[in-house]
Amino acid sequence: MTGVVGRSVESITGALRTVFTAEQVASADGLLQRRDPRVSVCSIAGLALAVMLTRTIAVTVCFGVVTLILARLSAVPLRRLLARSAVVPLVSAVIVLPQVVLLPGDTLVQAFGLSVTDDGVAYVVLFTLRVGVGVALLSLIVMTTPFSSVVAAMRELHVPVALVWVIAVTYRYLFLFFDELQRLVLARNSRTTGRSGLRGGWRDATRLVGTFLLRTLDRGERVGRAMRARGGARPPSPYSRSRTVDRGDYALVALTVVAVVGSGVIRWGL
Amino acid sequence: MGPVIEARGLTHEYPDGTTAIRDVTVSIDEGERVAVIGANGSGKSTLQLVLGGLVEPTAGTVTYFDETADAEAVRDRLGVLLQDPDDYLFNTTVREDLEYGPAQLGMSREAATQRVTDVAAKLGLKALLDRPPFRLSGGEKQRAAVASVLAFDPDVLLLDEPFGAVDAHYRDRILKLVTDHEGTVVLFTPSLDVVADVVDRVIVVGPDGSIAADGSVRDVLTDGTLLRENGLRPPATVALFEGILDDDDVPLTVSDARAYLLDEMG
Repeated sequence: MTGVVGRSVESITGALRTVFTAEQVASADGLLQRRDPRVSVCSIAGLALAVMLTRTIAVTVCFGVVTLILARLSAVPLRRLLARSAVVPLVSAVIVLPQVVLLPGDTLVQAFGLSVTDDGVAYVVLFTLRVGVGVALLSLIVMTTPFSSVVAAMRELHVPVALVWVIAVTYRYLFLFFDELQRLVLARNSRTTGRSGLRGGWRDATRLVGTFLLRTLDRGERVGRAMRARGGARPPSPYSRSRTVDRGDYALVALTVVAVVGSGVIRWGL
Repeated sequence: MGPVIEARGLTHEYPDGTTAIRDVTVSIDEGERVAVIGANGSGKSTLQLVLGGLVEPTAGTVTYFDETADAEAVRDRLGVLLQDPDDYLFNTTVREDLEYGPAQLGMSREAATQRVTDVAAKLGLKALLDRPPFRLSGGEKQRAAVASVLAFDPDVLLLDEPFGAVDAHYRDRILKLVTDHEGTVVLFTPSLDVVADVVDRVIVVGPDGSIAADGSVRDVLTDGTLLRENGLRPPATVALFEGILDDDDVPLTVSDARAYLLDEMG
């Protein structure tokens, strides 16, 4: 598809598809890659929990710094981590933005009859930071541990089967979802000559979205059958990739415990 | 030996009103090699999905191994390969896809690793094991899909177009793997040139989705009128000798034709 809309669809699709399938870093030699998958999953989940417990910007920033250090030690390119983690906090910021004028507090700026309060700004910044650091932590686990190892670790940790099942299926369908969209765009490009204007581009994009939804439903059904054909009607049972737990694993667990306890103490006191 | 799959009065109608298969009654015995042939759109793939227990028929019943109507209960014994490899390969790497079936069906890790390594070597996939399936070429995807179904070593293979996108070299390798398979093989294909190499029995699905013929590979492949009426053509070797030799003498495969010609030339 040509035109602004077409190029946008193509680039967004390509980027998202890469995001959801880029596990090359998982095979690199880094701190998290060397950890037992069960330890990685528990530690990152624990750190994410600690972030959610925080109520101060300074502590959240500290967790952000810890996340970046973990990424650095795990050979994860920081730019890729930030790109991967940016969308969700930005959307969250837009959703909670009205709180800057809705929350009571000391007025910082007044415009159009609305008062931007210090508590409102602090709330939005804290909320966005917490979401951002939480998403970055979850991205870190996906980028440093093969997805099948994450699923296997969750099974070994006795995470409820239904939850593991939903996560495994969602991940697989997201992959196919972007694959399907990119194929549609490529097919469209192969038979599109000349340039279409913005209006033409939007018209094409609308048609494409309709076709895409129908094809996605159809493909989803066929992939569901393919999964059932190989026992997919049963809960996901990937082979365990657990290793012997070593000192590095214990150190990461200790860091997580300190973070969770510290976060709790800062929030609720001793 | 009893039937491994027994279907009675199968009809399947899609929600848009299309009747894909019509009143199909068929029985596949243990160890049999069967080809289901038919023109495009005749309902072969739907029949495969229904026989494989992946689509519920609108009417009729299917029983497996002479005992159960529940395909999920015998899923580890049925190897159903779907037509489109892109549907079949949904994991993040080829290795994970090959391991998916064995893991789901409870094969030990050691046995699965051995099996995956073995099948990957036979289909030239060793160098591709850690690559994402979507980065593979069409032929590579096809080989990976075939390897995925062979990886859990099922008793019955229900293969829909397993040679579709592969080159001649790998088509021969897949043919050999299918021929060497010790269990039952049901091949759904419009490519009649490979049928005689693999099967003993051929079922013809007519354009209306009903069974037009069911007989030995020689009886069906040498019946040019039957094949043409159902939108098919006889294999090249059969077409070459059609009307020249008696049906009983017509070579069905290239190697048979070569042997015949060498014999005739003294």
